[in-house]
Amino acid sequence: MDIQYQPKPQLLLSTFLVFFIIHDIQVGVGIQGFQRIIFLEAKQDAWISVILSGILTHMIVFIMIKTLQYYGSSDIYGIHHDIYGKWIGRMMNCLYIFYCLVTSLVILKNYIEVIQTWMFPQVPTWFLSISLLLLVVYGVTGGIRVIVGVSFFNIVLSMWMLGLIGYPIRYSDYTHFLPILESNIPAILKGTFKMTFTVIGFEILYVIYPHLKEKNKVQKFAHLAIAITTILYLLLMLLAIAYFSSGQLEKSIWVTLSLFKIVKLPFIERMEYIAIAFWMLIIIPNIMLYLWAAVRGMNRTFNINESNFIWIFSLILFISSLFLNTRMKINTFNDKFALAAFYLVYCYPIILFVFVLIKKKIKGFKEKQI
Amino acid sequence: MFFKKTLSTNKQEKEKSKDADNIIPTNRERMSLEFRRRLQNSADIVETEVPGTGITLFYFHTLIDMNLLHKDIIEQIKNQSFHSIENIMGQLSVGIMDKTNQMDKVIQSAIGGHVIIHLEGADKVIYARIASNTGRALSNAINESQVIGPQIAFNESLSTNLSLIRKYIADPNLSIEDIRVGKRTTTAVSLIHIHGIANQQMVDILRDRIKKINMDGLIDSSVLVQLIEDNSLSIFPQMVLTERPDRICSWLLMGKLVVMVDGSPQAIACPQSFLEYFQSMEDKNVNWQVATFLRLLRIFALFLSVYFTAIYVASLTFHYEVIPQTLLIPLSESRARVPFPPIMEALIMEFFIELLREAAARLPTKVGQSMGIVGGIVIGTAAVDAGFTSNILIIIVALGALASFTTPNYSMGNIVRVLRFPIIVLAGFWGFYGIMFGFCFILIHLLRQSSLGTPFLTPFYPPRLADWKNSIIRLPLTFTAKRPNQTRPEDVDKYNPSVAKEKE
Repeated sequence: MDIQYQPKPQLLLSTFLVFFIIHDIQVGVGIQGFQRIIFLEAKQDAWISVILSGILTHMIVFIMIKTLQYYGSSDIYGIHHDIYGKWIGRMMNCLYIFYCLVTSLVILKNYIEVIQTWMFPQVPTWFLSISLLLLVVYGVTGGIRVIVGVSFFNIVLSMWMLGLIGYPIRYSDYTHFLPILESNIPAILKGTFKMTFTVIGFEILYVIYPHLKEKNKVQKFAHLAIAITTILYLLLMLLAIAYFSSGQLEKSIWVTLSLFKIVKLPFIERMEYIAIAFWMLIIIPNIMLYLWAAVRGMNRTFNINESNFIWIFSLILFISSLFLNTRMKINTFNDKFALAAFYLVYCYPIILFVFVLIKKKIKGFKEKQI
Repeated sequence: MFFKKTLSTNKQEKEKSKDADNIIPTNRERMSLEFRRRLQNSADIVETEVPGTGITLFYFHTLIDMNLLHKDIIEQIKNQSFHSIENIMGQLSVGIMDKTNQMDKVIQSAIGGHVIIHLEGADKVIYARIASNTGRALSNAINESQVIGPQIAFNESLSTNLSLIRKYIADPNLSIEDIRVGKRTTTAVSLIHIHGIANQQMVDILRDRIKKINMDGLIDSSVLVQLIEDNSLSIFPQMVLTERPDRICSWLLMGKLVVMVDGSPQAIACPQSFLEYFQSMEDKNVNWQVATFLRLLRIFALFLSVYFTAIYVASLTFHYEVIPQTLLIPLSESRARVPFPPIMEALIMEFFIELLREAAARLPTKVGQSMGIVGGIVIGTAAVDAGFTSNILIIIVALGALASFTTPNYSMGNIVRVLRFPIIVLAGFWGFYGIMFGFCFILIHLLRQSSLGTPFLTPFYPPRLADWKNSIIRLPLTFTAKRPNQTRPEDVDKYNPSVAKEKE
């Protein structure tokens, strides 16, 4: 397997598209109800946790891109191969592929749960799962340009939802924030830790990096995307704290969707129905990107044809989505996934960076000796 | 080895005899026999002997201009004696003529509207082109009419159409390439581009695609489109047909390629983006504020006509909650007598509108108009009175149909109407989820398409901010001094904006 990966010129993407990719993949199912989870830990200071998690993310992304820049045009699969050798590298790659698949499953399952809870309690899981996965397969077989296109349109077309935030502001009570800094530091940090489930997604950089045209501009646009996402989360967190009382906030699972409930236009009410349906456009590119990353991993590690594995992985996703069928199961699964994701997304890049540094040092040392 | 040799000599001999067959007989009777034999002894073959010269003319009287034949050929050569055919050629006053000794060439030119001049004893014949021009005169553009701007449309004659283009673009770099398509029809197909603006790679790809066509006949350019577009399985056409010469010329100047087929009044232009189907030539002719308004209106109409009925069906079947109470009362009142579920009701009405439209399109113009109006009002009102549908649905369906007629391109208008049906069915079965599924599917489908290798959703994706100035909006001409990225032009600048804006 080659460590370097140079895609064909027609598969290269303009670098600023990385902004859309990262922003899109971060904003997925987590945004629908992250407020409660953070609020349970950090109470009215939850917004500080959001800011902290944003800062932490910036640091991790910086390290990730630095790691990638050592290799010129390579992805995490190539780097693993270079650092760990053939066999351990393959194992690590499989782990990463598995992570991508599990993430797709989490997104898929959470969205299906929202639809079943809010819109169609009777519609079976298998139908929703199949219909969503068919769209995903149709997109992924079109290649990376189509996938990024969907995430681009998702952001452009879902901007109107931001306008709806104005409604709850009218009913907000700003005394809910007081007293500031009542929670202690560990509680706030715990809240930051709980943000993992919501903010992950930027690790797609590890896979998409070779497809970007101008590698030196990646830092700029990636950080811009992270900043915008953090601001969005901060806004929604502040809004939730100001609008809901603490008792209400602790009890509602999908706080953002509940905020949509109060939107009232002359010809339309209960905006959350439209928002939930529209959410399909938001989660479809996310699943596509993760599935694509997994399939690309199979191709890079074992040199297997990509198109077969799109179907095989979708089948795996479909079958496993049938087993996660109760709220409790989904919740425990989400929690366990968040814990694993914290280690893989927030801790592992630092370790990988250190390994890469050591490897480069040794290489340089050896070359000097010769 | 020996065996092979005999085979090859056999082959050579065969070719030799074939060549001998192909040589023109010097004798008049034999020439006549051969000519008639090869052309299946058609009834419209005429053989005229020019008195006192030993010259015989062979031609199809259906293909040539008889006046020209008499004035330019028979008048010039009668009652003279000629020793060689070069002498005859000197006497004739025909622009396009040549000599040959090949029978194949003779047959080909006779079919193409040439007269064959045969001199007794000479080993070559002359073929001179005096083809008659049958066809209609140029007329107004009816299918793509506009108020401001040129009114002329292409007709069925390729040479007339090409002369129209030449008149608009008097540029030595305008390149017209002749390609023959169809084994039996050998239809003339012209590939037109402006050298130095159009991307050469695209020209090569398109030429290749046209040359690879292996069909018995090509009658119209709309068939050619289906043969050369990137994905003919898609419902969206990736190359556009137009009957307007001014439109074709402005596209040529943008760096697009144009294909014209002899006998077809519509030209093919490519690469084409999805958005361009919702732009009209008139947008360039009116001022930019109005053009922007009209373009936004058309995009709005697109969404209205595809999704409005579906939203009605979805909200009445599953999501009563999204309708405010004040609106719910008139809705339920008008639906109180309707026995069908909303999806049936909507499908019946949509089907009815489609019937009306199709009937109006097929009938002669005058009958069609009155039929449309009377049928619409009478059956529409009666349907409500009989309790078949609700008033509100009729408004919605009519709005959707009206909106679909705003699409400037006829074939795209059809597609917009067809797309409505699967979306309504999805909405009737799975509500907003179904509508969104349809929307996502169309979006992904459009993203997957390309037109001559360029993305179909350009300039929105891949995003080319510079080209957004002339997309669903149109900024003043001084802002759009560069050619669009879509055609990957070799010469980017249309004009120098600072000079163009200068006033004295």
